[in-house]
Amino acid sequence: MHFDIAVVGAGPGGYVAALKAAQMGASVAIVEKDHLGGTCLNNGCIPSKALLASAELHHHIQHAAEMGIELSAAAGINWPKIQARKDKVVQTLRNGIKGLLGARRASLYQGCGALDGPGKIAVTRTDGSPEMILATKIILAVGSVPSRIPGWPDDPSVVCTSDEALHWKQLPSRLLIVGGGVVGCEFACMMQAFGVDVTIVEMLPQLLPNMDADLAMALARIFTKRGIRIFLDTKVEDLAVRDGRATATLGNGQSIDVDRVLVATGRAPNTARIGLESVGLSTDRGFLRVNDRMETPVAGYYCIGDANGRCLLAHAASAQGVVAVENALGRHRRFDAPVPNCVYTFPEVASVGLSSQDAKAQGLPVSIGKFPLSYLGKALAANDTDGFAKVLRHRETGRLVGVHMIGHNVTECIAAAGALLHQKVKVEEVAQTVFAHPTMSESLKEAAEDALFMGLHLPPRKVLRATAELERTPP
Amino acid sequence: MPTIRMPQAGKAVQSGTVRRWLKKPGDKVEKGDILAELDTEEGFLELEAPIPGWLGRILVAEGQTAAVHAALAAIDETGPGHKVPDIQQQQSADQASAGEPAKGPTGTADGAAAGKVIPILMPKAGQSMEEGTVIQWRVQVGSMIRKGDVILEIETDKATMEVEAPASGRLARIVVPEGGVLPVLKPLAYLADNDADVDAYIAAHGSDADVQAPQAAEGLPPAKSTTPPTAVGTTASTVLESGRVKASPAARKLAAQRGVDLHGIAAGSGPGGRILSADVPAAGQSAGRRPMSRMRKAIARALQQSKQTIPHFYMRLTLSAEPMLAFYQSCKARFRCSLNDVVVLACARVIREFPAFRSRIEGDELVELPSVNIGIAVAVPDGLVVPVVIDADRLSLQEIAAQTKQLVEAARGGRIQGMGQGSFTITNLGMAGVEEFAAIINPPEVAILAIGAVREAAVVKDGTVRPGKVMTVTLSADHRAVDGMLAARFLGRLKELLEDPEQLAPSNEQ
Repeated sequence: MHFDIAVVGAGPGGYVAALKAAQMGASVAIVEKDHLGGTCLNNGCIPSKALLASAELHHHIQHAAEMGIELSAAAGINWPKIQARKDKVVQTLRNGIKGLLGARRASLYQGCGALDGPGKIAVTRTDGSPEMILATKIILAVGSVPSRIPGWPDDPSVVCTSDEALHWKQLPSRLLIVGGGVVGCEFACMMQAFGVDVTIVEMLPQLLPNMDADLAMALARIFTKRGIRIFLDTKVEDLAVRDGRATATLGNGQSIDVDRVLVATGRAPNTARIGLESVGLSTDRGFLRVNDRMETPVAGYYCIGDANGRCLLAHAASAQGVVAVENALGRHRRFDAPVPNCVYTFPEVASVGLSSQDAKAQGLPVSIGKFPLSYLGKALAANDTDGFAKVLRHRETGRLVGVHMIGHNVTECIAAAGALLHQKVKVEEVAQTVFAHPTMSESLKEAAEDALFMGLHLPPRKVLRATAELERTPP
Repeated sequence: MPTIRMPQAGKAVQSGTVRRWLKKPGDKVEKGDILAELDTEEGFLELEAPIPGWLGRILVAEGQTAAVHAALAAIDETGPGHKVPDIQQQQSADQASAGEPAKGPTGTADGAAAGKVIPILMPKAGQSMEEGTVIQWRVQVGSMIRKGDVILEIETDKATMEVEAPASGRLARIVVPEGGVLPVLKPLAYLADNDADVDAYIAAHGSDADVQAPQAAEGLPPAKSTTPPTAVGTTASTVLESGRVKASPAARKLAAQRGVDLHGIAAGSGPGGRILSADVPAAGQSAGRRPMSRMRKAIARALQQSKQTIPHFYMRLTLSAEPMLAFYQSCKARFRCSLNDVVVLACARVIREFPAFRSRIEGDELVELPSVNIGIAVAVPDGLVVPVVIDADRLSLQEIAAQTKQLVEAARGGRIQGMGQGSFTITNLGMAGVEEFAAIINPPEVAILAIGAVREAAVVKDGTVRPGKVMTVTLSADHRAVDGMLAARFLGRLKELLEDPEQLAPSNEQ
């Protein structure tokens, strides 16, 4: 069969690319070796959010009495039921993708695809039968898998990655999470709410190492208050598994005894054994590098999503998929919009644009506006006052360069910040925008006003006063 | 002279952006006086003077940033010795120094280290742009501007555009007044803390400054220029202080013949703005002559080339307008569309079926565009422009109506969108009552459709005559890209759609 476009991988990048190509009138094939929806739907965003929703509900029930709701009995956790609900959500969405692909007449090949010379993809169908697909343009959306630490015991009932942890049949009683990034923090938050004793060990000096340090510090404080133990700047030197239990030796000499370990140290691209060499493509530390148009160095081949290593997020993959398809069909598109970053702990963490560390590294003159949620009506009303909104403003141009939020539902607010950033607005214009009251998003406007020393719902900012340095030149 | 530097005001402070200087060069300051307000990472910072004295040259202008420990300004303990350009400032400094005689410029060493001067150049917007006309200055001489602020509007032969400040600073001098013409990449104005620096800069950069004419009497701020030039083509006065005009003898003779006053001509094209004979007719307004506007020149060039090099052929077709009118009446209120929008929609659908009409000729090659982009001829004062609806075949009637409205309004406001991306233009003179006309193809497009008025006519059908409404459309096509039979089929399909416009209704869209 010959197609205008063939897509390898049906994750959030690949299936969106296939739908876009079909919408634009191209004939399209999509190859998937596993379930539709990729990591996002099967082993990532969606199942973790389904579990977190149960965890958050339990967390709120623990605080129900503060809001005048009294329960006659303690809330119980039915883990198999929580898992079953998650599985149902996942299955519903898988069917949804299948329906969408069918409605756009995209040809779905269930099997393992590998490049096999120019314009060709060899598919080994799930039943073992081989098939050849020919395509004018090929989009690689092969995704990534959780990294494992070489040399560590690989007893999957004790040492797991997020792939297994999302489908645990039983909750652990003591859990060690290696890596305090997004996955580590979300699992820590979820597991603690389900009554698990959680320890996080992070090698770098902050949780969420890619995000603004203020967000990480605030989250660490909240976690610590809930009883999650956090070791920063600390390595796990050794891990031993015996009789279904693990003992970890930390860099500071301490040793921790747990019944399960979650390795959340990052993800590795799925670029091996997909026949890249047959068309002259090569990888850089496993990633298949592309330009802003998602083009690989070989004409007619595009790579989107985790596998190109630009931004390992589902929404980035989808956006890149659309860009790749439009370019493949003769338009000129670049992937240059700001991409928001969200962490679905409770409270949630969300950011878009440059962090304080980024601004410092780039030597940008920025000023910072901040608004604590404890001053915000909606946060108080919702009994959820942990967190803040933070805005970075370029002092010379006045432009908004970054927004960082932590608090109840802030992942829903960050879209507005992303749109403003994409429009390259000035912080003054954010401050002039009318936000509905009372909302969590209002904190964004308040932080913008604070960055301009114009805040009205905060005490006046302290004005620094300093004597200029004096240098006398020798006569 | 001692220097004052950016202090380490707080732990996280790495740099400060000057919001405003509260003291000017020459001002007397006491120890602890606030010299400036700065914006830092940690917040608002008031900068105190470390010693008493007189503020000297300011090294970091308002809006600019200095890192911690970087020099901000000079401070003089001995007196207001700094060379201050502004007479008023000089006087206030003199008063402040209470009787101590003003020393004047402290000598060449200080004067040579001229303050920072940034020229603002006429931008080169596009390969073909050679010069631009200043339409309007949005800022005044002496005002502080910030990088990115729109400071003036210019007109090129293609469009009008806004020019942003390339840097922050004080607008010290405007070289080209409104109405003035300037080649690209020549200075329009200068940013500087004081005017003397501009003079020094111009003296040092003679070649860039050759469009520069001497300002009026020294000491007067340039904004007070008494006779703001209004004539198109003027830049600045070429009148010397003696009253004599800089002009070649041939130019004087020609000017006398044509009755042109050389005083009315600003800078000529000769060295130092000297008026040459070639400059004279352009300024001769009294003889009923005037130079073509940028736009007229562009129209002249493009259409002359089109008519002379493109083998046009014309094809006329009259269609029954009643179904189209009925459809328009039913959509008008809902979609806020015009009759022309219906024609644009129908053309977009037909072009989708006829790829030849979305191709362009480039040398010996035919290039098919990936999308249906339709130009719409819009009359503007002194000419016409052709904004383009991109991807017209993917738009609904409502979207076409909204886009066209926005494009036309923007075009009338001087901003033409999608220019040069079309393959097909629609020109409609129906509203002017014209029955039919043949238009010239807008290169590099391949065809143009001229729409006449909907008019009452005697229609013969099945052997009987009855009154009806008809509309005549005339297609001009490029025979290199389109042949007669194809054009006929194109028009036939358009007639089919417009005589059965329900096919265009939203429910029939895919």
